[in-house]
Amino acid sequence: MALRIERLIARQVWATAFKNRAFFGVLMGIGFLLVYAAVTGWVSFRQQNAMGRQYQQQARQEWLNNPDKHPHRMAHYGHFAFRPKAPLSVFDFGMESFLGNTVFLEAHKQNSVNFSEAGFSTGLLRFGEISLSMVLQLLLPLLLFFVGFGTVASDRETGTLKLLLSQGVSWQQLLVGKSLGLIAVMLILYGPVMLATGLLWFGLLWFGLQGGAVNADQTLRLLLLLGSYFLYLSLFCVIAVLVSARCRTAKTALVSLIGLWLMLTLVLPRASQALGSYLYPAPSKAKFLADIQADVLKEGDSHNPNDPHYKELKDSLLTAYGVDSVQKLPFNYSGFVMAEGEKISAQLYNDHFQRLLAIYDQQNRFSKTLAFVNPYLAIRNLSMALSGTDFASYVDFQQQAEQYRYDMAQKLNELQIELISNQKPGPTDKPHQIGKNHWQEIPDFTYQSPGVASVFRHETISLLAFIFWSGLLWVVAWRLTKTLTAL
Amino acid sequence: MGGSLAINQNLNRSMIRLAFIQFIRSGRYAGAGIRIGLFFLLAIGVISLFVGKQFAQQQQQGITDVVQFQQTDFPRQAALHHDDMGLLLYYLKFSVINQTRPLTALAIGQRDVNPSVQSVTIRGLEGQKYDADLTNPANLLLGNVDFSFVLVYLFPLLIIAFTYSIISDEKENGTWSIVAVQSRHLLGFIGQLFLLRLAVVMAVMLLIVALAIPVLGIPLDGVLGLFLGTSVGYILFWFSVCFWVASLQRASSTNAILLLGIWLVLLIVLPAGVNNYITARYPVPEAQATTLAQRKGYHEKWDTDKTATLEKFYAHYPQFRQVPVVDMPTDWRWYYAMQQLGDDESAGQAGELRQKLEQRERASRSIAQFMPTLHTQLQLGELARSGLGNQLRFMDYTSQFHEKMRLYSYPKIFTNAPVLAEKWTDFKVDTFTDEAPIHPLSVLGTFVLFIALFAGLGWFRFRQTIYHL
Amino acid sequence: MLQAIELTKQYVPGQPPSLDALNLTVQPGEIYCLLGQNGAGKTTTINLFLGFLPPTSGQALINGLNVAEYPQETKKFLAYLPETVMLYPNLTGLENLDFFAQLAGFRHTPDELHSLLSRAGLQTEAHGKRVGTYSKGMRQKVGIAIALAKQAKALLLDEPTSGLDPKASNEFSEILTGLAQSGTAILMATHDIFRAREVGTRIGIMRAGHLVESLSASDLTANELEAIYLQTV
Repeated sequence: MALRIERLIARQVWATAFKNRAFFGVLMGIGFLLVYAAVTGWVSFRQQNAMGRQYQQQARQEWLNNPDKHPHRMAHYGHFAFRPKAPLSVFDFGMESFLGNTVFLEAHKQNSVNFSEAGFSTGLLRFGEISLSMVLQLLLPLLLFFVGFGTVASDRETGTLKLLLSQGVSWQQLLVGKSLGLIAVMLILYGPVMLATGLLWFGLLWFGLQGGAVNADQTLRLLLLLGSYFLYLSLFCVIAVLVSARCRTAKTALVSLIGLWLMLTLVLPRASQALGSYLYPAPSKAKFLADIQADVLKEGDSHNPNDPHYKELKDSLLTAYGVDSVQKLPFNYSGFVMAEGEKISAQLYNDHFQRLLAIYDQQNRFSKTLAFVNPYLAIRNLSMALSGTDFASYVDFQQQAEQYRYDMAQKLNELQIELISNQKPGPTDKPHQIGKNHWQEIPDFTYQSPGVASVFRHETISLLAFIFWSGLLWVVAWRLTKTLTAL
Repeated sequence: MGGSLAINQNLNRSMIRLAFIQFIRSGRYAGAGIRIGLFFLLAIGVISLFVGKQFAQQQQQGITDVVQFQQTDFPRQAALHHDDMGLLLYYLKFSVINQTRPLTALAIGQRDVNPSVQSVTIRGLEGQKYDADLTNPANLLLGNVDFSFVLVYLFPLLIIAFTYSIISDEKENGTWSIVAVQSRHLLGFIGQLFLLRLAVVMAVMLLIVALAIPVLGIPLDGVLGLFLGTSVGYILFWFSVCFWVASLQRASSTNAILLLGIWLVLLIVLPAGVNNYITARYPVPEAQATTLAQRKGYHEKWDTDKTATLEKFYAHYPQFRQVPVVDMPTDWRWYYAMQQLGDDESAGQAGELRQKLEQRERASRSIAQFMPTLHTQLQLGELARSGLGNQLRFMDYTSQFHEKMRLYSYPKIFTNAPVLAEKWTDFKVDTFTDEAPIHPLSVLGTFVLFIALFAGLGWFRFRQTIYHL
Repeated sequence: MLQAIELTKQYVPGQPPSLDALNLTVQPGEIYCLLGQNGAGKTTTINLFLGFLPPTSGQALINGLNVAEYPQETKKFLAYLPETVMLYPNLTGLENLDFFAQLAGFRHTPDELHSLLSRAGLQTEAHGKRVGTYSKGMRQKVGIAIALAKQAKALLLDEPTSGLDPKASNEFSEILTGLAQSGTAILMATHDIFRAREVGTRIGIMRAGHLVESLSASDLTANELEAIYLQTV
């Protein structure tokens, strides 16, 4: 049979792990954590989405309940966009807690997305959160190191390694066998986690809690998660075995692996992000807004009656329609001005926002590129993206909300241009208004989550890093089989 | 007598010297040596100061930006709306700053999440109060490399690396039996080994803080004293844990796994678990409810009876009933009454939100009493004025500030006071200085308790097993 | 069966070699005992035959194959018993034997495994106990059983009797003699002059990497051997 020797060695690794009582304790502990993570993930998903849906409906209802009004009143009445959690956020919380989830959408103004969990946190949040993905990304590799540090080094220390090799086992067989054994141990935890994730995900979609359904896109995301985590954890199994094979004593192997783990999961991610934000400082909010305002003033201030841009606009309109005052225009002039103002300010805001995003992108580039040095960063970024809890998904929400805001404001401007009289009402006249039936012409805000293709676009680096890591470990292992000695 | 004492002291001194040499050289065989560890920690400690300095500079920049904006925007707006006080104050944004102390740079806490500058118009407060800062969430997610991170996460690791095999190594090398037979006071000898390492770790910590004082311009006051006290207490706590683990007399590898396990539980698993618990236990749907109520409270007044609105406004502010109504382009009195009612009608939800956040703060504080790691992080934040407590007090101050600006503005608007009579450049950006008292006992009590517990357990255990091989 | 030709190992360039131009042949049925002080080059010789060290020059041949060129193939003819056989403490003696025999490509029935352990002198009650509870002598016997199970043509032993009590040591000698009679070539590094004289067919004395004496054991008494040894080293 194929790989007979390898499987024999793998079985021995397995047996050693399971004959250790402490290992059962740790397994129980991690099992408990996983259940805790799954339950809290599920609960907070349901809480937040139920809340979001409830408020979204309430906001919509209140919008529709408005009586006859001037359209511009409605433009300021505005609407809310509540960010729904993605179904796979039960698995990976990602940046969820640091992202706002409520944005007020009104004319003229791009409000901030408010009420992130982090803003309401006592600071405990900075210690991290327990999610299924956190257990897989952070704790399982350490457990694998604890189980695997002695795989070769202990045999070397006791001299059993010489006996093994004198029996005619090759280094290749030994390393492959030990790695397979460790991977088998890994599957004990990985299997149930992924099963639980699958069930949670399926449950959420099936019972329509997301309002969605099991579709090809979501399924592909889940499968990719399954695959990439398996690869990630297998990498750590192989790393454990290779380090163990390089070290003279089991203690050295353990200390080296712990050091490596700390470097990969604690020091490098923070340090790289700190470096990024150190080198590419982002503007303060005051500066960001002041710059936009400055640009708007330069382009044309719709609130300033003497602004040259609007004066020119007015003159050209008067000439085109052959009239001498804006009151004589066949449409509502102030609506027209506001539409123009909205166009300019939205355009400028989007420009500045894109520039801000570009700075953030630069800040994040270090930690993203470091995926080639650190598989932890690779899986972290990829997993967030696949779960729909990364920054790109958030930006997508912001942009959809802004698009909705813009469309809403312009639709109302349009209604004003067409339906509101150009004459100012006298002090005793009824104020200008349009019928409330118009309110439903503006559809409710519904967020459309982006397809999995956007993940490939944003996380190309992480995906390439995985390919790189697999290749690198293969090469290292192959080289080591030539140079390792039993002594 | 005196002579033998002198000899003893000399002996002791040279013993300590030898123990020190043995300790400093001991890393030679292990992958990451003692010296590399020390150097690494010192280096990252110094880096953390620069991260803190950059944070402080960014805060300063933010303040400069907002001061400058206010200085240029106020006269510009005033010139533009020179005949309409109500319209001008519709636009003007008054800013208030949450003062950043030099110490904040050592423990940035929640200051990178929450805005340190609030800019509010005198319109409805509830629609502005919770406006988020501009942040890169990736920075927030991965966290800062500030001094508190180095202290809370990395110092324990160095302490563990220094002490996990303090006795077990000698046992594994076979030197322990000789030491045990030769030493006249074995527990004292073990104590010396620990004290030596404690001295080295403390020296590193103090060196970093000593560097921070000139680099960040930290004043030498009682707060810094408590900050240092917390840091010392935390380091002693970890030494006492390591002392206890050493007393269990296990193999080096077991010690390493055990100590890293404790580190993992105290710094990752339990805090994260507590966070999940608090988030789920005290959800804050009131936040969304407040904004929705505020919008409804204000906007529906456009379509309801004007006098009723004004009556409600006068009920809140009887002093404005007497102000005679003057003719103005827009009925600003009614407008701001509507805005005011948006706030008044969402006050219930806003109060509940405030209460929920206070409950969160209280809950995490009580839980932290039993977890020195959490306690340290929260205390450092409290001392550096960067925790949720500070944020809540800042929001309260913002509300007071907003109220002050309203009360200043309403009479001017209602009388349509001449805009240009006001000197708009005199409106300075306000600063909130957090002076909430801090009790030394609540800061240091937890440490005393836990240090006594673990050191006591270790001592007790050592007395039983010290001569066991 | 085992042959060293000008076999040399120099660990650090510039330093005197640890093994200098060793020439040695062990025929099937022969037991060759290497004597010498610590650091004389005995273990280096054995490690070179095992292929755990690359030779600086010269050749170590097993069944005519150069170990450095054919590390895998030569293992087929080889069994090895280190000074202390540690094995896997959480497996029983029987399981350990089964594991290592399978590694070498042999599948044995439980009965065969039991009989191998018994042949190696391990009492039946101990077969099913975890190796962690074994004494050194018992572990050594499992090691012998592993060597027996492999039916190797050559056996390399590195101070196999150090730390064994006299009775165990004696039993061990008998097993070695038996193996030699069935045609195994045995190379044994040892400090035990008496035992070497007892089981050895030939005896080599090493000093500082050189094989300085090669004697026929049957020509000597233990006392004569000790005298020669003390003069030589």
